[in-house]
Amino acid sequence: MSDDGRHSPRARDGRAPDVFRPGGWVSMKEYSDHEAVDFVIVGTGAGGATLACKLAEYGFSVVALDAGPYFRPLEDFASDESEQTKLYWTDDRIVDGDNPLQLGSNNSGKAVGGSTVHFAMVSLRFRPEWFKARTKLGYGADWPIDWREMWAYYTEVEQALKISGPVNYPWGPPRPRYPYRAHPLNAAARALARGCEALGIGWTETPLATLSAPRGLAHPCVYRGFCVTGCSTNAKQSALVTWIPRALSAGAEIRDLAMVGRIETDANGLAVGVHYHRQDKWRFQRARNVVVAGYAIETPRLLLNSATDKFPSGLANSSGLVGKNLMAQANQAVWGEMDEEVRSYKGPPSLAITEHWNYEDDGKDFFGGYAYMSQGPLPQLWANTQATAHGLWGARLVQEMKRYNHVVGLKIVGEMLPQENNRVTLADERDQYGLRIPRVTYSWCDNDRRLIDHSIAFMSRALSAIHAKNIWVQEDDTCHLNGTARMGDRPDSSVVNADCRSWDIPNLWICDGSVFPTVGGANPSLTIQAIACRTADRIRALSRLGEVNLN
Amino acid sequence: MLAASVLADSAVEHYRGSFKNKAMLTPLIVAGLTLAMSLHGTADRRPMAHQARDASYLSAAVTGLLGTGFHIYNVTKKVGGLSWQNVFYGAPLGAPMAILLSGLLGFCSERVRANGGRRRHRVFNLPAGETVATVTALGLLGTSGEAGLLHFRGAFHNPLMALPVTLPPIGAGLLAGAVVNGGARPRGLARWWMRLLVGMGFAGVGFHAYGVSRNMGGWRNWSQNILNGPPLPAPPSFAGLALAGLAALELMREARNA
Ligand SMILES: Cc1cc2nc3c(=O)[nH]c(=O)nc-3n(C[C@H](O)[C@H](O)[C@H](O)COP(=O)(O)OP(=O)(O)OC[C@H]3O[C@@H](n4cnc5c(N)ncnc54)[C@H](O)[C@@H]3O)c2cc1C
Ligand code: SF4
Repeated sequence: MSDDGRHSPRARDGRAPDVFRPGGWVSMKEYSDHEAVDFVIVGTGAGGATLACKLAEYGFSVVALDAGPYFRPLEDFASDESEQTKLYWTDDRIVDGDNPLQLGSNNSGKAVGGSTVHFAMVSLRFRPEWFKARTKLGYGADWPIDWREMWAYYTEVEQALKISGPVNYPWGPPRPRYPYRAHPLNAAARALARGCEALGIGWTETPLATLSAPRGLAHPCVYRGFCVTGCSTNAKQSALVTWIPRALSAGAEIRDLAMVGRIETDANGLAVGVHYHRQDKWRFQRARNVVVAGYAIETPRLLLNSATDKFPSGLANSSGLVGKNLMAQANQAVWGEMDEEVRSYKGPPSLAITEHWNYEDDGKDFFGGYAYMSQGPLPQLWANTQATAHGLWGARLVQEMKRYNHVVGLKIVGEMLPQENNRVTLADERDQYGLRIPRVTYSWCDNDRRLIDHSIAFMSRALSAIHAKNIWVQEDDTCHLNGTARMGDRPDSSVVNADCRSWDIPNLWICDGSVFPTVGGANPSLTIQAIACRTADRIRALSRLGEVNLN
Repeated sequence: MLAASVLADSAVEHYRGSFKNKAMLTPLIVAGLTLAMSLHGTADRRPMAHQARDASYLSAAVTGLLGTGFHIYNVTKKVGGLSWQNVFYGAPLGAPMAILLSGLLGFCSERVRANGGRRRHRVFNLPAGETVATVTALGLLGTSGEAGLLHFRGAFHNPLMALPVTLPPIGAGLLAGAVVNGGARPRGLARWWMRLLVGMGFAGVGFHAYGVSRNMGGWRNWSQNILNGPPLPAPPSFAGLALAGLAALELMREARNA
């Protein structure tokens, strides 16, 4: 495809790509740079797109900018792992610490729709106690939000994404029925189920953001399993095919290939707009409110890069916490081989799950929890895994790949604790826009290690119980990043309040995974979207009281 | 008609299962035979029951029972046992019952035929019209249950998906009403309702065809989407049952007028 949206912007001249019709367009409202809009939003992923949609539907004027392209999934996505690296954020970054993070495919996205364009669609609610982790469970920090309120927002997001899930969910307080039914299990998922039954713990079909029945012009899932490299059928309910089309029809403007470099503040200490780079030049969009939703690395980077004399340590940073308490989630796996063919790559990668160790606290020598899911690595990823984990290459790698169809695996999403030393700071090096690049420092703590050890031992037992052979452990992997601008009850111990509003600059908001005080053992996107829905409701309520800057 | 629908549906579904088990051919042969026999019966003008036809109808009934057994076994041996997952995606529990039904209905029609011109037809010494009406009513309920299950699997994403779970049970109720009243009261509504169900059965094919088109690639990708999408041959089984219902009402009318 010569132009797949990566070279020149597609959303302009009053129209944006229609993701549901090849070559089609939908009309789009446009604002001029000089016109101060009610909200300019930086980033259109799980947090930004959801908020843009909701605010536009509430009648606010909204412009949402994304550094990435505006893809047309039906046309631009190839069933080719190498080609699809175009979906990742691969700009320069420096990583260090005892356990440096591997940044890219597994923890970033750069596109309209953000990381959700190639996420694995696992859509979980948090365990209620996690919102009060410090008081109820004795670790991490409390969220300033009550779980019952979140429960209602989770429902809103599940409906908006037509999540397909089990008829009854085995853990946690009751939740409404998922809007769509669960997908059929593949052999990898049945292997997880048999392991759980052998060890006497519960399992269920994973609630997934991919369609098990048609929805409008989006097709149901075809089970080809290219989910983490983008979905070319639109079955995946990414932000790109859900919130963004809604946002457009409610009057929001989306600007693709628009990299924000700096938030401008005035002498009163209020935000007045953003400097962004598009079509080879720097521009300035005026706004009454600025929302940052760039993911847990780019969000603190932008706040730090926007320092002024008045805010020398960066915006919203009077607590000194911007960039701190970065949390990855542990992503260790145990692999084995079955005698029979498994073909684990058929279908979405994680069709079955157990949240047993998220809800059960007995028998743990660590704080926090983890879920584990069945796996379906694509061939190139699997070859890489073999090459890195076992140093296989050449003939031995080819030999190993012949057994690919028999591979079965279990992988955790595990809670890591917030630590101030795990953080994003600015390096002196600069990127292609001339902006200082982020330095990402990460080290596991003892609790993280104990959780990982527990999960590996347990999953190894689960695989032995179903007679898998040649069981081995993939020790070093992490996924989803959160934290770095935590929400809380007090200005000295958090960056934003429960409404995602900065304590220091009342018209600066942060609305993405950065605001998480803790991460739990569940994939974060549903929670990010629920928080965004709540934030939109709060902004509407506050604006009615005259407490939002709209002049 | 029911036999034709069963034949096509089980052919498609068992083809999808690549006939993994040899027994998966049985329903095809039996439903094929039932269909052939009833065509034969229709063409045959002699007013007597035919042994070959009887034999095939009864074997259809037995196949239906055995098939149900097999399908239950298939579902319960899967991990998770009798769970929504396996009831949705395992071997359909209700489907083989349709063969049983087509056998039973065929058998009944042979008895009616054997009675020749007599007005009071009897099957196993029961009044024929009532028997056929009862079998049909049960068939409508069962088929409706099956449609309900599969449409629930599809999350009733289209409101029209509610039709086959609401209209047929009402039809079954009307047939039952006719049986209980001994046909004393006017059966106009029941007859009218059976015609509605015939229409629904055929319209259903159209809706299922639309459903197929909504899968990736639409009809251009027919070879995959016919297997993935809603089953085209399923809805006419309602039409087949409703036709049997009409016949039953007619028999009851004749019996009363005799
Ligand atoms: C491979 C993979 C699989 C995943 N699987 C799951 C899963 O199964 N379940 C789940 O819940 N989560 C999953 N996640 C995580 C989930 O996708 C993220 O947690 C979520 O999308 C984060 O939302 P966000 O709004 O914080 O950031 P994102 O969704 O990443 O969006 C941020 C956007 O901001 C843009 N941006 C950043 N900085 C700037 C700037 N300065 N100017 C302009 N634009 C900017 C970026 O281009 C990006 O598009 C997965 C992630 C990956 C990478
Ligand atoms: S398996 Fe389903 S969700 Fe995944 S890429 Fe294919 S169609 Fe999309």
